[in-house]
Amino acid sequence: MSNSSVKRVKAIAKKEVIEFARDWRTIMAIIVIPILMFPLLFIMFPLLLESEAAELDSLQVDVVIQSNELPVDLLQEFNSTSISISFEGLSNNTTLANPGSDLDRLRSLSIDAILRMEQRGDIWYYAIIHISTSESSNEARSRLIQGLTQWEQNETERRINAEGLDPDSTLNPLRWDGEISSGDVATQGEQAGMVLSLFIPLVLAVWTFSSAIQPSIDMTAGERERGTLEALLSLPCSRNELLIGKWLGVATITGVGVVLQICGLLFAIGYLASSSVIGVPDLSLSAVLLIVISIMLFAIMVVALELAIAMRSHSVKEAGSILGPAIILIVFPALFTQVINLDGVENFWFAVPVVNILLALRELLMDRVIIEHIAIWFGTSVIYAVLAAYYAAKQFSREDIVTSLS
Amino acid sequence: MLSKKGERVELSMTRTLMTIENVSKHFGEVEALRDISLEIKSGEVVGLVGSNGAGKTTLLRLMSGVYKPTSGTVCLEDGTPVDKMRQKLGVVPESTGLYSRLTAWENIRYHSRMHGIDDKTSWSRTSRFAKELDMLENLGRHTKGFSRGMKQKTALLRALAHGPSVLLLDEPTAGLDITSARTVRALVKQLRDEGGTIVYSTHHLAEAEQVCDRIIIIHNGDIQADGSPSDLLNQTGDENLEEAYVSLTQEKARSRNEDSESEGRFTRWWRTLFTPKTPKIKAVVNEDE
Repeated sequence: MSNSSVKRVKAIAKKEVIEFARDWRTIMAIIVIPILMFPLLFIMFPLLLESEAAELDSLQVDVVIQSNELPVDLLQEFNSTSISISFEGLSNNTTLANPGSDLDRLRSLSIDAILRMEQRGDIWYYAIIHISTSESSNEARSRLIQGLTQWEQNETERRINAEGLDPDSTLNPLRWDGEISSGDVATQGEQAGMVLSLFIPLVLAVWTFSSAIQPSIDMTAGERERGTLEALLSLPCSRNELLIGKWLGVATITGVGVVLQICGLLFAIGYLASSSVIGVPDLSLSAVLLIVISIMLFAIMVVALELAIAMRSHSVKEAGSILGPAIILIVFPALFTQVINLDGVENFWFAVPVVNILLALRELLMDRVIIEHIAIWFGTSVIYAVLAAYYAAKQFSREDIVTSLS
Repeated sequence: MLSKKGERVELSMTRTLMTIENVSKHFGEVEALRDISLEIKSGEVVGLVGSNGAGKTTLLRLMSGVYKPTSGTVCLEDGTPVDKMRQKLGVVPESTGLYSRLTAWENIRYHSRMHGIDDKTSWSRTSRFAKELDMLENLGRHTKGFSRGMKQKTALLRALAHGPSVLLLDEPTAGLDITSARTVRALVKQLRDEGGTIVYSTHHLAEAEQVCDRIIIIHNGDIQADGSPSDLLNQTGDENLEEAYVSLTQEKARSRNEDSESEGRFTRWWRTLFTPKTPKIKAVVNEDE
């Protein structure tokens, strides 16, 4: 590439990025959303769940206990929770779980749950009638079960004691010795790598593909539709320079989006790590470098393909209607890759398009640097990237790209 | 070129700047241009006149190197194919082709940089012509809010900023109000007086007569006539150019659609599948009888 050629490519890429950055909607889509997505998902969402759980805890639930006789100490268990109890006698039902005439009361939510209990010999039979689509009814059921479980445990111990046995050894004849985590020889970093390998490749693949759609369409079919392409094609730049310049533009915008999303993800992981939910992956320098190379090869292929398809389209609408659904081509292999067992994985998987990069990322995030696998995914990815670039160059050299349906 | 006294120097019209030799252009089965040969001389303003679909835009795109001829050659004075020497051309397409999120100056600078011209030289030429077009104050504005006239002027400034040898203008006054069209025509005349070489495509014969030294009438992909306005009148024996044009182009305009040729077979079939058939005209004709 000559010096003047490099200057032209730079000018094209710079113009594309500047023009794209001047649209606030794209800034929202490319910068703000990626930064916020994972922190919102991993930090705000659990906080929201916690607050909802706290709200449920403070909820007073109305429960009817239907029984002709009740164990005295069972009521003590219920008294420790916020349950408002009223008592009724037990009617003659075929089984306790049959709602019978209480159906309407529960469906109208005038009460949250009904506990029915009956002693037959040494055994207490019970049923909780509730409506599972109501949160307060579910909460009432959960509190009743909690109280019943505690009572059952006390009753079991009482009965074992009555037989002259030790409840602890009778109920727990098999025990783990020491810390449970000590039995796992994987380091905390490796464990974190394994957890991250389940979703980082998915996020990277899907986000790279989806965030490249809009700029690819705007810079090709968009230009074609707006009539700016004819003026551009009459300039002293080759179609390949145009392709490389636009590729750099899309790759820069997509790269910024992906990097910001990873930053958001790492921030969220850091937050979770501080709360001991997940650790920081332990990666060697070679694994990190290979991760970067694999992502770059994937980006070359994806961006070139998207530019080619968008350039082939006569309008923005046509390009969108092809590239939008095409995300399935990434999502399905990405989901499929999650279930492939990495121990003893067959080599051919590392040659399948998209799957190869995703599997490579999974392995590398677990710090597994396997030369044979690297050679296969690197070689095939280079071939796919070159083929995609060749296809894009072919589309860019089409004569009809100057015409538009509009 | 202008002499010191401001008179036009006719000698500058002797050099051939562009040669179009036996050029044909096909789009699929449609023959858009048929065996065209012509020369563009230095310092002349050549008007390409013809109806819609006549082949004016196709010829301009061949001249600018956007299209490659199916057969024949389009070369500049030294025999170099035009697509290898685009820096010698200034092109204003019909759609103007401005980026709305860039300012007028950024649009001009982008094209100048692509031509390998530094920003200082580009600004110096731009500011000179911008004053004449009353656009200097608007160079820092985004082109999104520009009127059609302002866009056309900006596109002209962009095409002139790198000092092209040949200026190709595709219907530069289409859609402009009277004042803007006059300003554009005045600039073309000024460039002509300064020795500029311009190829000017238009529908309007009166405009061509006013601006051009030479008029080429294109019809159905063929050159029907090529000469000065007085040559055309002599050729047909008509009193005015409009009548001369009608005499030269009596054949019905051919229906042509380049875009449909670039459409895939399946796409075209799918589109026609959901298009209801036009009611038969035969019945109406019978009623009239």
